[in-house]
Amino acid sequence: MTGSSAAANARRIGVYVCHCGGNISDYVDVDRVIAAVEHEPGVVVARQAMFACSDATQGDIERDIRELELDGLVVASCSPKLHVTTFRGVARRAGLNPYEYSQVNIREQASWIHTADAEGTTEKAIALVRGGIAKTGLTEPLEPIVVETTQKALVVGGGIAGMRAAIGLADLGLGVFLVERAAALGGHVRGIGAMYPNGRDGGRLIDELAASIKARPSISVFTGAEVIEKSGSFGKFSVGLRVGGPGSETLTVEVGSIVVTTGFETYEPEVGEYGYGIDGVVTLPEFKAMLDASAGPLRHAGRPVHDVAYVYCVGSRETPTKPDGNAYCSRYCCAATAFASIQLGEADPGVRQYHLHRDVRTFGKYELLYERSRDLGSIYLKFPDAEPPEVALEPDGRLLVTVRDLLTGGERVAIPADLVVLVTAMVPRSNTELTGLLKLPIGRDGFYNEIHPKLRPVETTVDGVYIAGACQGPRNSSESVASALAAVTQSAVILKKGYAELDPLVATVDAVACDGCGKCLDACPYGAIELSAGVATISETACKGCGGCVPLCPTDAIDLRGYTNDQITALIDGLVGEAVA
Amino acid sequence: MDQTVAAEQYDVLVVGAGIGGMESALKLGDMGYKVLLVEKEPSVGGKMILLSKVFPTLDCASCISTPKMAASIHHPNVTTLTYTEVEEIGKAGADGRFRARIRRKARFVDEASCTGCQLCESACTVAVPDQFNADLVARRAAYIAFPQAVPKKAVIDRQGSSPCTFECPAGIEAHGYVSLIRSGEYEKAHRLVLDATPLVGTLGRACYAPCEAQCTRGSLEGTLPIRRLKRFIADQHAASGEELGIEVAPPNGRRVAIVGSGPTGLTAAWQLARLGYAVQILEAAPEPGGFLRLAIPSYRLPTEVVERDIDNVRALGVEIVTNSPVRDLAALHEDGFDAVLVATGTPRSAPLGVPGEDRLGVVGGPEFLRGVKLNEPVEVAGRDVVVVGGGNVAMDAARVARRLGAASVTVAYRRGRSEMPAHHVEAEDAEREGVRFAFQVAPAEVLGDAAGAVAGLRCVRMQLGQPDASGRRRPEPIPGSETTLACQLVIGAIGMAPDTAAFATLATANPNGTLRPDPDTLQTGVPWLFAAGDVVHGATDITRAVGQGRRAAHMIDRFLDDRPMDGFDLRLPAVDKAAVLARQAGYAWRGPAADATTLSPAPLDFTEVEAPLTEVDARVAAGRCLDCAVCSGCNECVAACPVEGCIDLHARDEEQDIDAGAVVLATGFQLFAADLKPEYGYGRFKNVITGMQMDRLLAPTRPFNTILRPGDGKVPERIAYVMCTGSRDETVGNPLCSRFCCMYSIKQNQLLMGALPLADITVHYMDMRAAGKRYDEFYEQAKAMGATYVKGRVAKITEQPDGNLVLRYEDIEGSGTIVDAEYDLVVLAVGVQPNLEPGALFPEGDLTLDDYRYVAEPDEDLNPGATSIAGVFVAGAASGAKDIADSIVHAESTAALVAAHLERARLREPEPEAVPA
Repeated sequence: MTGSSAAANARRIGVYVCHCGGNISDYVDVDRVIAAVEHEPGVVVARQAMFACSDATQGDIERDIRELELDGLVVASCSPKLHVTTFRGVARRAGLNPYEYSQVNIREQASWIHTADAEGTTEKAIALVRGGIAKTGLTEPLEPIVVETTQKALVVGGGIAGMRAAIGLADLGLGVFLVERAAALGGHVRGIGAMYPNGRDGGRLIDELAASIKARPSISVFTGAEVIEKSGSFGKFSVGLRVGGPGSETLTVEVGSIVVTTGFETYEPEVGEYGYGIDGVVTLPEFKAMLDASAGPLRHAGRPVHDVAYVYCVGSRETPTKPDGNAYCSRYCCAATAFASIQLGEADPGVRQYHLHRDVRTFGKYELLYERSRDLGSIYLKFPDAEPPEVALEPDGRLLVTVRDLLTGGERVAIPADLVVLVTAMVPRSNTELTGLLKLPIGRDGFYNEIHPKLRPVETTVDGVYIAGACQGPRNSSESVASALAAVTQSAVILKKGYAELDPLVATVDAVACDGCGKCLDACPYGAIELSAGVATISETACKGCGGCVPLCPTDAIDLRGYTNDQITALIDGLVGEAVA
Repeated sequence: MDQTVAAEQYDVLVVGAGIGGMESALKLGDMGYKVLLVEKEPSVGGKMILLSKVFPTLDCASCISTPKMAASIHHPNVTTLTYTEVEEIGKAGADGRFRARIRRKARFVDEASCTGCQLCESACTVAVPDQFNADLVARRAAYIAFPQAVPKKAVIDRQGSSPCTFECPAGIEAHGYVSLIRSGEYEKAHRLVLDATPLVGTLGRACYAPCEAQCTRGSLEGTLPIRRLKRFIADQHAASGEELGIEVAPPNGRRVAIVGSGPTGLTAAWQLARLGYAVQILEAAPEPGGFLRLAIPSYRLPTEVVERDIDNVRALGVEIVTNSPVRDLAALHEDGFDAVLVATGTPRSAPLGVPGEDRLGVVGGPEFLRGVKLNEPVEVAGRDVVVVGGGNVAMDAARVARRLGAASVTVAYRRGRSEMPAHHVEAEDAEREGVRFAFQVAPAEVLGDAAGAVAGLRCVRMQLGQPDASGRRRPEPIPGSETTLACQLVIGAIGMAPDTAAFATLATANPNGTLRPDPDTLQTGVPWLFAAGDVVHGATDITRAVGQGRRAAHMIDRFLDDRPMDGFDLRLPAVDKAAVLARQAGYAWRGPAADATTLSPAPLDFTEVEAPLTEVDARVAAGRCLDCAVCSGCNECVAACPVEGCIDLHARDEEQDIDAGAVVLATGFQLFAADLKPEYGYGRFKNVITGMQMDRLLAPTRPFNTILRPGDGKVPERIAYVMCTGSRDETVGNPLCSRFCCMYSIKQNQLLMGALPLADITVHYMDMRAAGKRYDEFYEQAKAMGATYVKGRVAKITEQPDGNLVLRYEDIEGSGTIVDAEYDLVVLAVGVQPNLEPGALFPEGDLTLDDYRYVAEPDEDLNPGATSIAGVFVAGAASGAKDIADSIVHAESTAALVAAHLERARLREPEPEAVPA
């Protein structure tokens, strides 16, 4: 018997094993898990539940905590990412310190990954639960770290999303710093005329927002400005800004949250890609600018435009022809192209327009744009994923687009055109410096990544740093505005109260044992550790509890609350079964 | 607006607790605003909680939903009301706030004391399609919506009173006992009737069954034989020898005397005895039972059946003293009876009022029938008999006369056949037994022979004039139209009258001799004296008499207990039969029970003419019940519930007003009803299902624990998807794309390929709209896993004899020809329809909807979620189709607009000043 299990003996732990409605119980024999752990040292009660997270089971657990006077809680279910806060809440409501709770993941770590081996996955689940119980035997009550929050926010990027976010934050009584790299606010939208879905003029929308910003003294706008430094943490960041280009003025702002709305860039086709480079082959934004600038029938290079061919998915959904290309769909472009073709069709009823697409993704109400576009004479042809159209310059100076049309039995069609519009993708903006400064996570598609598209759609893994708009992934302007407002909501949730609570699961230093070697400083990705008077000190608010410093300390002076060395040892003993007679 | 009731104050009212509503509510709560979240279903969670997994992450829908669901009832700033409708929203005053009327629908289960144990659900005898399983399986009328329901509290789906139950004047739970018979619980069914009256066997035979006239099945193939089902349980009980099994309160020390032992008196005695009263019935006749025992002929109601029912009353300790006419009611009170009930009925015949009425051979109908029942019959054999009158007593007398060997029996009635007050079955049966009818004749004189005995009846022919007070046309004599019916016996059955001369000093009597107590309380001017039944209303029928007995017992108890004399009729309103029929589209034809009456044109004895239902017949007949009100009122849940007083089947909806500074409409969407595309056969072909049904088949809480096709339970090997069912389709009036069907189908494709590795999946699509973060990658993944995607709209689906389905479509990308492809199972990817509820919430009509009747967002570009009304916002799919991720972002975005609105309102708010009222 080790000391840890002796300690566990004194505890009163409740264990709950979840079926997850079959997600777990289809593979893990939950009865066996219960039988195997109900007599573990310290376990007072072990039960199973169809959905441990259901409100009814939460109520049952609360009752057990009160009636059986539990001082430790283990729920074996899914990833803590999903439900650790759920069950901490259960503990809190029943009067048990939330940090006396441990979640054991027998779904992602057992049932879902060993579906062919029911015996093995059950044994693994038993071992995981035993480990969790052993670790819980050594928990101590902890109190959350309370951080006073600065009731100001920083918005990085002054396109439509950033401008709308700034206004939204100001409307909730928060101070705002809006930082834009360019000389003027407005981003892409500023240069667009009429936009789908409602036909409103992009430039005017930006003017409207700019006026609103001006009317709100709590918003400070910095154009021609960049973020150059960030310190502090959630609720209390210090951010260094450089305004007016290199060598110019810098200043520091104190904010409680940061909303990143840095937007996208337009895919730039390579020369030769679908004839790009030939006169008359243009990208969708270039075409839109021509349309917006022209009244009546379109002319190009001094000649009237009678035939327009649109080639869709340029830079999007590229993997069938370009395995390392962009896999994603750019979402906004089908509707944007349909809208542009309506604009042209209405200005010039005689124009002929050919849309060479793979799927027309005018989703939802945008279907009406597709319908209207066809009503105005646009012809839609579907080409095979792996066989894109070819664009060539004819001797007479016109363009010829050749495409295999799947809708007419795979016939090869040659379309003479005066203009070829490449419906170009949205691509992630190159923003290496900012990404590094804010430690923003990047997804496989190169856009910034939220924690979870449904649970935390604008939050990042860095607490207090939110993302919105097209920097998260391709979307249109009103969708960008919606996500910007969602980031406003998220900021308000943490800032309006004036304080925030952080998990106390942070690293601590035993000042006596620390010899000031400084190895931990290099290990910390969050800059939370500094040396003062020859001893490492860790900022409670900057530490994320990753534990990276713990094993590097040559004198074992660092311990991680909630995951102490003793707890991890006990957990391992439980896992491998040594602590069990 | 009513200023006297202080409405509860909230910052925000959120209508709808699906994923969008929960998200908005929780975020606003997190910001510190006080939120009221209202959901019409019994649980929060909306449609998302019903799904299997969600794209493109393949998280299980429960895992994402349940934390938000639990938070919605635990959040300190969020109050959540489920099973509650918002009825209307208007302006609360000049300060921009809103006043909403909400209706908390009766759950019939006390939310605070329900433990979610589901014992009521197991006990419930009614099964209806389970909307939370997309109608794939049934649920009970008492149910918890689904395993993860929040709150996990039962609700009883009780939409009112079933028409049969509502109609019963005796207050018997007709639907309840039918439902118990269907479940094979005959004793419990018997006890449920006993709860109203001891006369189970009697009513099972002699009741005219007004319930059956109301039976909704009557407008389909024919009514349920509700009366005969009651007879069945009475017979079953008699044969079983079981105890009554009725709860009786301990003696309360008080005594009640009941004068008269007919159905009113017996029922009142039964009810009072069960409440603990010592009851004595005083009966003038030598046998108890009133007309049941002494008038209704035994071919309809055998004497032993009545005696069994009377024994029920005696079994509770009620003392029945016969041959005891009561002359002095006050003496009874003085003898120590705390209350006295007069229930003496209408024992006397009304006189014919013609010359010769006193001749030998003229007898009153009730007296005639009574003589037969007491074995002192009037001599009938070989005589020609004329029965005067057209009521049930006339029919009984005529048919009895046939049985006693009359040479002929003629019923003489002064109006026409259709005006006869007798139950039509009685009249038809009389005719089939050889009784003749003479219509539109009225007696003018009883003719005598030399000895003074009856020799004939002189009659006047009548014609029908204008309708009289009863609505029937008034008969008027035709001058000079006299005719004579030769006969030796005249039975006068033109009406009955009470005999109340002895009571007139205490109880107020009408000129016709009936008593006049308070119509509700049945209390006379003398507080301890009550009167009920035919002695109050004149001759009615058994059910009304029973109902009066129940009412009298209830009121006497209230009176003696010194409690308010109300609370007797707790019936909910009857449900609308049209609505019941509308939801029966899928029900099979089920023929009515055959008539089992055997009649002879010359009946010789008093054998019962109607045969009982066999057990099989009874079960089949009860199985035809349409469960009109869903809950049958069988009371099984009440008996099963371990918490005393938790279930109250008489609960009512409650309305209340609330004030809020802002409103969020998060009413979501409706799924397209796939049967509106008849060419796809949904609802007719069992193996054509909807996308929601497939999600249920795949969900962790799936109904069959495996994927099978509903037609025959076979595991499908070839599964087809038909995209855009009800979307992008002008033929159903919806040109819009539903936005998420492509993605949920791709998700299901992947889950199916995991669950059924050998199955072939083919998707017939128009455009695959995988537009969103990681969506197209998810589509590519499904293709790589082996699903096949075929471009082209499916024209038509036909069903093969083995349940397989043939899809006809144009193979656009392949041969270009029309192709027929056979599948085991077809999934229709149904899309979105607007939920029309939000528009109706604003009676002032200022909420603008878009062309497709979604809530319009006039400034979608800069203020998505703002509506045409300042302070009213929309979140999620109520403003147009959105997938879950987009709904959540939209709902969070709306929360920011709501908060901004509230902050602006707060800053404008003037300092409160004392304003004189």
